[in-house]
Amino acid sequence: MSSDALTLAPAPRSEAAEQVRVEVREFLAAERAAGTFTTHVDTWLSGVDPAFSRKLGERGWLGMTWPKEYGGHERTAMERYAVTEELLAAGAPVAAHWIADRQSGPNLLRYGTEAQRREILPKIAAGECFFVIGMSEPDSGSDLASIRTRATRDANGDWVVSGAKVWTSNAHHSHYGIVLVRTSPADPANRHAGLSQLLVDLSLPGISINPIRILDGGHHFNEVVFDDVVVPGDMLLGEEGAGWHQVTAELAFERSGPERFLSTYPLIAEFGRRAAATGDPAQLATLGRLSARLLALRQLSLRIAAALDRGELPNIAAALVKDVGTTFEADVVDEVRRVVDVPASLDSPDPLGRALAEAQLHAPGYTLRGGTNEILRGIVARGLGLR
Amino acid sequence: MASDQDLVVETVRDILSGAEPLLLDAERRWDERLWTALAEAGLTGVGVPEEAGGSGGELADAVAVVRTLAAGAGAVPVAEQLLVAAPALLAADLDLPAPDEPLTFAVADAVTAKPSDDGDGPGRWTLSGTATDVPWAGVARHVAVLAAAPAGIEGSVLALVDASGLEATSAANLAGEPRGSLVLDGVAASGALLRPEQAAAVRARYALARSVQLAAALEQVLAWTVQYAGERQQFGRPLAKFQAIQMELAEMAGEVTAVTAIVDAAVQGLERGSSELPLLAAAAKVRAGAAVEVVARLAHQVHGAIGFTQEYRLHHLTRRCWSWRDEAGNEATWSRFLGAGVLADGPDGLWGALTRLG
Repeated sequence: MSSDALTLAPAPRSEAAEQVRVEVREFLAAERAAGTFTTHVDTWLSGVDPAFSRKLGERGWLGMTWPKEYGGHERTAMERYAVTEELLAAGAPVAAHWIADRQSGPNLLRYGTEAQRREILPKIAAGECFFVIGMSEPDSGSDLASIRTRATRDANGDWVVSGAKVWTSNAHHSHYGIVLVRTSPADPANRHAGLSQLLVDLSLPGISINPIRILDGGHHFNEVVFDDVVVPGDMLLGEEGAGWHQVTAELAFERSGPERFLSTYPLIAEFGRRAAATGDPAQLATLGRLSARLLALRQLSLRIAAALDRGELPNIAAALVKDVGTTFEADVVDEVRRVVDVPASLDSPDPLGRALAEAQLHAPGYTLRGGTNEILRGIVARGLGLR
Repeated sequence: MASDQDLVVETVRDILSGAEPLLLDAERRWDERLWTALAEAGLTGVGVPEEAGGSGGELADAVAVVRTLAAGAGAVPVAEQLLVAAPALLAADLDLPAPDEPLTFAVADAVTAKPSDDGDGPGRWTLSGTATDVPWAGVARHVAVLAAAPAGIEGSVLALVDASGLEATSAANLAGEPRGSLVLDGVAASGALLRPEQAAAVRARYALARSVQLAAALEQVLAWTVQYAGERQQFGRPLAKFQAIQMELAEMAGEVTAVTAIVDAAVQGLERGSSELPLLAAAAKVRAGAAVEVVARLAHQVHGAIGFTQEYRLHHLTRRCWSWRDEAGNEATWSRFLGAGVLADGPDGLWGALTRLG
């Protein structure tokens, strides 16, 4: 077995991370006491609160690992891990800035021009600039290379974009999208060639944003339609034709964080309160089983953060952790409902019933977003030397 | 000291190489030749200080020995000796037997220890009752018995019993490893009273030892299955080229990687003397036990009928995994313990407890 791609060295303990963890906990306790937010499941998709994002920016908890010259704070991935983990566990409203902080910023840092970085990164770190991912299309899901949104150069050297992107979370609250487009005709011999990434200001004329409601009625997803949108020529991100390579690197950031196993943690917390109240052995056993799985996932995710600090890009291990982690997120619902007699309902008078309802109605998404688990297992299989 | 561990692992592998794992039965209950070779190389005293008669080295070295033997299905009581009995006896200030005399460990709640009236002092105890599910009963020369303290006294008694004169029943686990009972009928032994938290730490060591073995065995099962899928041809191509098989192998890899991560974390907890060791060991044992369900089932599915025979190597490890997950406390026992433990700070303290565990 070529296990090297899958195994990661244990993460060293980080005092700095534990210090910032305490600070975040104090901040969250104060915000909760002040009524700024109430806990919900899966808040990195559904909890949009720009004012809350700005507060995080003021405290230096966005763009944490980026260079100071771009508004970052030059802290470690382990410290960033502690901050994001605490925010997710509390079910805090972090959706507004999540994509920008997690992947668009790092993507700009790697591939952006100096002007793009200076213009945009400080705003992301301040919690004032939000991003969407422009990858999937109505006819292109897992088969991302089949996208049809096109960008062609006009006489002025600007890009004219037409096509449609879907599942673009919170486009109606966001400022920019990093949009994967076809800049050369499709070549059946090399499907990954001819793709590029454009940095698109979502307020440009010709862009329409139409809501797509998910199962609980929430409006997070959108269809973003580009009708001959003129994007300035200097808004190409990275290299023309290198879009596939760049998007793959971006997905590695997308796949490595604690949001891949903590989306339903607020349900576990609520269930823990119930088990503490009843002392029921079956509930305690379920809590123990869930805790064991969560602790193992934490160790894996911490190892990835430590690997990022060492300058590695553990793509295959990240795919594996996301597979195991998102499976866990969905299993939490099934495990909890087997041992409590509480109907899931968004209108339940019981907070456990509401948490079950939120987690259940969001559940189909956990193992789809950011690459389906079937795609991820294909990546892991490659790591095992099978393809 | 990675280089030391590499050397230890190489030595154990050299000893294992050339011999297939033994098929254990009523006549052949352990691999005595393997034990002798390990003892002669000083490997049955790894992690035990030289002044206590051992070979020296760190906990990590002992873990490396146990992992390598577990992956090789070595039928010897090394996990019990190196990771449980010897360190528990040392921590209780009790003398160790010579490292070449097999030493095992038994949790024996049905055995009661009473202070002896033979005048040998407070370190002498008399043990009465039956110790069940004793690993390597009838094979091990010595047993470190964790017995109940006399009525009215809190805690447990850890006593070192000379088992050479004791009759053991022939019960075995699913892999044929001896797991018989020992009847202790007023047996005299040196021992020490352990406080409840000390006894809990010894039980945790036992669960962690089985977890370390499980992690190593599961890794090996994955490696064997990947190798088999690459070699076995059906429909004109290797099994590994079928997407359905790739999905199964990737799922196995996810389970194995998760087990390794939590077991490593629990071993680190033991290394730094964490007071959270029982909860960490519980998490490791529960996670490893859960992974056995997936990994053993899929390994057999991918291997097909040959894996279902005694002719092929797979059963040496899958049968052990099916038993090791039950031993030293199964998932039911440890998950209740862990569930209650993470709520020890109160109903709102779950997250704090989980992050403190690492």
